Amino acid sequence: MAKTILVVDDSASVRQVVSIALKGAGYDVIEGVDGKDALSKLTGQKVHLVISDVNMPNMDGITFVKELKQLPAYKFTPVIMLTTESQESKKQEGQAAGAKAWVVKPFQPAQMLAAVAKLILP
Amino acid sequence: MSIDAEMKAALITFTIESLELLQDMEDSLLSLEDGADPTERINSIFRAAHTIKGSSGLFGLDHIVKFTHVVESVLDAVREGKIDVSSDLVAVLLPCCDHIALLIRAVVDGDVEENPDMTTAGDALLAELRPFLEGNPSSPVATVAPTPDRVEASGGGEVETGNWHISLRFGEDSLRNGMDPLSFIRYLTTLGVIVNLTTITNRIPAVAEMDPETNYLGFEIDVKSDAGKEALENVFEFVRADSIIHILPLESAIADYIELIRSLPEDDAYLGELLVKSGVLTKRELEDGLSKQKSDSEASQPAQPIGEILVEQQVVQQPLVTAALEKQKQIKDNKARESQSIRVDAERLDKLIDLIGELVISSAGVNLRALQTTQTALLEATGEMMRLVEEVRDSALQLRMVPIGTTFSRFQRVVRDVSKELGKDINLVITGGDTEVDKSVVEKIGDPLMHLVRNAMDHGIEPAEVRLQNGKPSQGTLRLNAYHESGTIAIEVSDDGGGLNRERILAKAVEKGMVAADAKLTDQEVYALIFEPGFSTAAHISNLSGRGVGMDVVKRNVTDLRGSIEVDSTLGVGTTMRIRLPLTLAIIDGFLVGVGKSSFVIPLDRVVECVELTNDNGNNDYMDLRGEVLPFIRLRNLFCINDQPPRRANVVVVDVAGAKTGLVVDRLLGESQTVIKPLGKLFAHAQGLGGSTILGSGEVALILDVPVLVSSFEHKMQRHALSISA
Repeated sequence: MAKTILVVDDSASVRQVVSIALKGAGYDVIEGVDGKDALSKLTGQKVHLVISDVNMPNMDGITFVKELKQLPAYKFTPVIMLTTESQESKKQEGQAAGAKAWVVKPFQPAQMLAAVAKLILP
Repeated sequence: MSIDAEMKAALITFTIESLELLQDMEDSLLSLEDGADPTERINSIFRAAHTIKGSSGLFGLDHIVKFTHVVESVLDAVREGKIDVSSDLVAVLLPCCDHIALLIRAVVDGDVEENPDMTTAGDALLAELRPFLEGNPSSPVATVAPTPDRVEASGGGEVETGNWHISLRFGEDSLRNGMDPLSFIRYLTTLGVIVNLTTITNRIPAVAEMDPETNYLGFEIDVKSDAGKEALENVFEFVRADSIIHILPLESAIADYIELIRSLPEDDAYLGELLVKSGVLTKRELEDGLSKQKSDSEASQPAQPIGEILVEQQVVQQPLVTAALEKQKQIKDNKARESQSIRVDAERLDKLIDLIGELVISSAGVNLRALQTTQTALLEATGEMMRLVEEVRDSALQLRMVPIGTTFSRFQRVVRDVSKELGKDINLVITGGDTEVDKSVVEKIGDPLMHLVRNAMDHGIEPAEVRLQNGKPSQGTLRLNAYHESGTIAIEVSDDGGGLNRERILAKAVEKGMVAADAKLTDQEVYALIFEPGFSTAAHISNLSGRGVGMDVVKRNVTDLRGSIEVDSTLGVGTTMRIRLPLTLAIIDGFLVGVGKSSFVIPLDRVVECVELTNDNGNNDYMDLRGEVLPFIRLRNLFCINDQPPRRANVVVVDVAGAKTGLVVDRLLGESQTVIKPLGKLFAHAQGLGGSTILGSGEVALILDVPVLVSSFEHKMQRHALSISA
């Protein structure tokens, strides 16, 4: 069965491109437009990986990861943070919150797929 | 839908979304100054720029990323309170929004690249933004560097099959962090083949104490991979902070890496750099090691060598450090050897050469005396001494030799400046710069070369349009070349210009009365006319040349150095001026000959052979040399030596620029080392004499300047022939 990845980003085009890449690599994708929306999409179903932006309206990525890690069903789910090279402090905040992996924006779809491949078995 | 079609759909989403964000951004910007707390509005403006930048990157729209990055940096500073919101700032940011919108609309129209108009407009806006970022060094203005491909093989790929041992101890929290060790190991297989994997289980506690969420496992993995250490290290970048990871070359591969370290090109490198270059150490490992070294020394402990630290931290093995240390020592040794030169006062050197000259003369005297005895032991001793004196002479002269390259390289600037002045595009090509020549020659050759170079650029190389018409590249080429040729150094100045025009030179020479109108001259003779005083064919006089002084001065300078100058030229193809100079001005190998009671020295490098003059009737000035006509000069007549001629005369055949001439002498006295002493002022006008020397017997001998002797004799004969025909 294909593995499921939750993609959280306020930019529709980023979600769309990441989804295309992930679906092309054989994953199922759920999309969330911000932290709040993403949490509402998580209803206990199995999610193998979360990819989340940091800067989002309503609920930012750091808060989202902190809340996610509180949910027993997603305690062990790996999280990839989308950070920018100028946000070294955000990267550290994200790691403290439980997002141990990161991809630096702007990225190419191939870079995203490599990071995903390191974290979950196909 | 195909991937392509999906991406197109995504691109449309991107443009719609971005234009909406820009509209929001504009609205927020306009309302910024109305007094209410702007925090939330600033955040949303920042987010808009941030989102546009991130999405543009995904579509590879680098120009949008580049522009938006700066806008984002400014907004980030505003958000953090480093820049105050002001009407000035808003006035700059609004046009920036418009510009981003313009760029995005261009993408909709199919322009994924920026056009020059946009670049200019963008750069102007960026220039307005920059002042806001100044004094905010924490906000990088630099454009986004492309993220390096994470799976790129680094230097280690140079070893054919990199064999690596990876020692992994994942942190206890790995599983809780969602980091599955298995997944990383599987990803490792995309870079190479796992040859051997051992699971280390000794950290697993008793069942009662075991926490199922904790990771207790470690792994020892042997990988066969062409990827470098850096690439392997990157596999584990997400778990590096909490885990212990050592990547080492396999014992069996160490020899290969030692070989690689030894074969690294030699340059000034630190130990760590050598290891990084060979691929056994990554930059990060080196930085960790260096920072440990630094913190140790700050804690006032004796600083530990970096090699020891690296071995201690298990990032490299001892043999590799040893090999790198050896390499480093070798580099240092080479450096030390290179810098072993001593500066000596030129005057002392000249004094030494003078003394050696005296030594050569007096040892010739000793040798002469010894030859008059029959004491074998004495003859052997003087023979040995002569050999050593010759060696001492050669090495002493070597001391004065310097490469001509420094003189040549001065012309780079000259050519650049002059070509600018002339409005011609001329490239200077220098070859043979390491050819060595006596220092005094180098000092004196600069001026004549300058004349030749300027002349070639001004008259030789045609203007670009003429060159193009003649099917030549518009850029002219000037060459400076130097090489050794049978005891002389040849220096060439060549151009690929129009070449010398034989007819024009001849017409001019006839007009100036330099040659008779019906004279039959070879090309060489015609070309030689350009070195005559007062000769210039240039239609107009330029700043550089054409005044008719210059070429004759060049000739005189070269002759003063006992050298000669010749010209090769092909009309339409180019001209080569070749200066030949003696390697040294102090001591030469000479060939001693006797005429009557006088002795003369002929420079040995001019001598081709010696033959007996047979069937001489005393009136001829040529002979039959194996079927060829050999013109000769009777030194007896030339120097008006009137005593009894010998029964048999000899002919020394000399070579001048490829033409053979004979010199008729009485006796052949053999080779001798000749220390050149200048002639007094009284003899300055004497043509064909290059100087004098003192023989072992204390006698003075004159040194013949063969080329001048031969050419002046030729002129004399021509005048003689003309007067007869007239």
